[in-house]
Amino acid sequence: MSSISIPKKSGFLTNLQRSMGGVLRRSLTIFLSVFLAIIVGSIIMLLYGQNPIMIYKLLIMGAFGSQVGFFVTIQRATPIIFTAVASALAFRTGVFNVGVEGQFFIGAIAGTYVGYAFKMPTIIHLPLSLLAGFAGGALWAFFPTLMRQKLGVSEIITTIMTNYLATYLISWLTTYPLAASAVTSETPFVQPTAVLPQFQEFTPFGKGTQASVGIFIALGVAFVMWYIFKRTKLGYEWRMVGLSSLFSEFGGINLNKTFIGGMLVSGGIAGLGGAVEILGVWRKYKNLFAVGFGFKGNLAALLGGQNIIGSTVAASLYGAMESGALGLEWNAGVPRQLIDIVVGLIIFFMAAEGMWDFLRKIKIARGEPARRTTENLEV
Amino acid sequence: MDWSGVLDVVQRYILNVANLQGMLRLATPVILAGLCALITDRAGILNIAGEGMILFGAWFAVAGSYFFSSSFAGLFAGILTGLVIGGLFALFSLKFRANIIVMGIAINTFANAATIFLTRAVFHVAGSFSDPKLQGFGPINIPGLQSIPILGPLLSGYTFVVYLTWALVILTAVFLYRTPWGLHLRAVGENPQAAETLGINVGRIRFLAVMASGVFAALAGVYLSLAHLNGFVDLMSAGRGFIGMAVNTFGGGAPLGVFLSSLLFGFTDTIGFRLQAERIIPVYFIQMLPYLVTLAALTFFTVRRQRALKAKIATSHAGD
Repeated sequence: MSSISIPKKSGFLTNLQRSMGGVLRRSLTIFLSVFLAIIVGSIIMLLYGQNPIMIYKLLIMGAFGSQVGFFVTIQRATPIIFTAVASALAFRTGVFNVGVEGQFFIGAIAGTYVGYAFKMPTIIHLPLSLLAGFAGGALWAFFPTLMRQKLGVSEIITTIMTNYLATYLISWLTTYPLAASAVTSETPFVQPTAVLPQFQEFTPFGKGTQASVGIFIALGVAFVMWYIFKRTKLGYEWRMVGLSSLFSEFGGINLNKTFIGGMLVSGGIAGLGGAVEILGVWRKYKNLFAVGFGFKGNLAALLGGQNIIGSTVAASLYGAMESGALGLEWNAGVPRQLIDIVVGLIIFFMAAEGMWDFLRKIKIARGEPARRTTENLEV
Repeated sequence: MDWSGVLDVVQRYILNVANLQGMLRLATPVILAGLCALITDRAGILNIAGEGMILFGAWFAVAGSYFFSSSFAGLFAGILTGLVIGGLFALFSLKFRANIIVMGIAINTFANAATIFLTRAVFHVAGSFSDPKLQGFGPINIPGLQSIPILGPLLSGYTFVVYLTWALVILTAVFLYRTPWGLHLRAVGENPQAAETLGINVGRIRFLAVMASGVFAALAGVYLSLAHLNGFVDLMSAGRGFIGMAVNTFGGGAPLGVFLSSLLFGFTDTIGFRLQAERIIPVYFIQMLPYLVTLAALTFFTVRRQRALKAKIATSHAGD
């Protein structure tokens, strides 16, 4: 007993203190990262000849300050919430699903096809179209999952490859078999029985924006995933596998089942997001209608600390910033890419945990040379 | 079946000197992106930031060429950019222990946005920038070689960057297999712990490898903006950073393998557009081919490696 040191105080309060300390430290990192990114962003704006305070004010006003801005925020946030939740789910189960982009597209085209090719009552047609999106995304995630599980091939490279396959497959589909006409690369419009209503169609709000009730599906999916992670055995297994696959296997978790399940649900959610984007906003598939939702979801999941709630919040903020940036471009002529620059910077500063330690170390022990060890060599 | 007709189609659309020239040209940025993936892969690092590094290289090459009115100034600006971005990437992911995949995604997103922004901020145009002041690389005709039939047009008349790329393939091979530094790099990639215990500075080798990958990627950008096109177009890297990872995998991590598999990409690119123009086969399927082949190769290599590993374990147990 004597050789093992036990913390003197134990119990609820200490545990709370300890977990609060973790949350606090994490929040501090996020706060400092955002702060640093804003500073660097401001320097860029100054060099561009703009007043940064004005720009940030316009950005926030653009996203939340008007009804149109607010509804554009909803519209832009909806797909990113899907891809962010999909990414977070995969990251938490220990899979780097960089293929969210492709899964989103495949889900979108699957949803479009079921949406326009069949005639059914809404009560069947709409759920079926959404389900097609989910199935499409899951199917697209299946192959990289299989390769990783059966052969141990890194899912990062395979999902990047399948992203390109998705792009070319859809370019072909929308140009030939599913094309509405010989001259355009787009599908026919989906049937009225398969569309998700936009707010401007059934409420007096959101005139001139494409925000749809898809946002409720997005938030619903986020809630369900949060519940699964927090409150079910399946969620517990997913989390454990993500933390340590070796430990989980010793603990009796079937790794194969968990990995495949996590990846397929991740792909499915991304695909569902694609279908919602089509049925809610575009109502037909234009070839490459929007590139980058998958990668934005990846980033939002990273910003949100790879948990479901954090990712949803980060995705909503990402949508808001995009909405604000659109207004900024229109009104002040500032390129909307400024937002992606700032987001990139935040990720840089946040991901570099070592940077904060590094700075602390410099403060504590000036001049002491860092020891080289054989630990931490795996990257 | 009329075989002369088939041969005629093959010669007209697939195997002819113009297509082979196109193949060698279009393969160049892919070779460079492949070397970018190779040098980090061999050091045991999964570098997905090639895409962003290419974009930065392309943009600063245009800026260098434009402001100094010299294509070589553009080249140096590109190389310098590669060193800086590679250095930053290495600093964050190796020294500050940021997850390398996360960092890669961040660099790619950042590069997309930053180059579009810079084009608007510096050149005051959106989408693409080209200017008569911009000095690109012109074709170099090699006297003597030029007049030899078939071989002449295949080897002569390319831009400086193409020849530089060929030289870099050879230099990388020599470096990897014939120099102590190359040996160290491979040792670090295969077993970092063992390398460290042998006194190799793993951190430093990896840092330098990432910086070198930045230079290769930036050169791919220089080719795109100063030799392939004369100017910068938004998102002009068009996935070549990722294709570089594919050709490295397909080429088995060897410089010659990267060169040959890049030719495959260049070839499918070239004939894809020809066949599309003639409405023989949709271009999209031809474009898919390299990715499918890479996936197949990846599966094949992994299965073979696992078999070898299992056999090794089996024999070592038999020896007990």
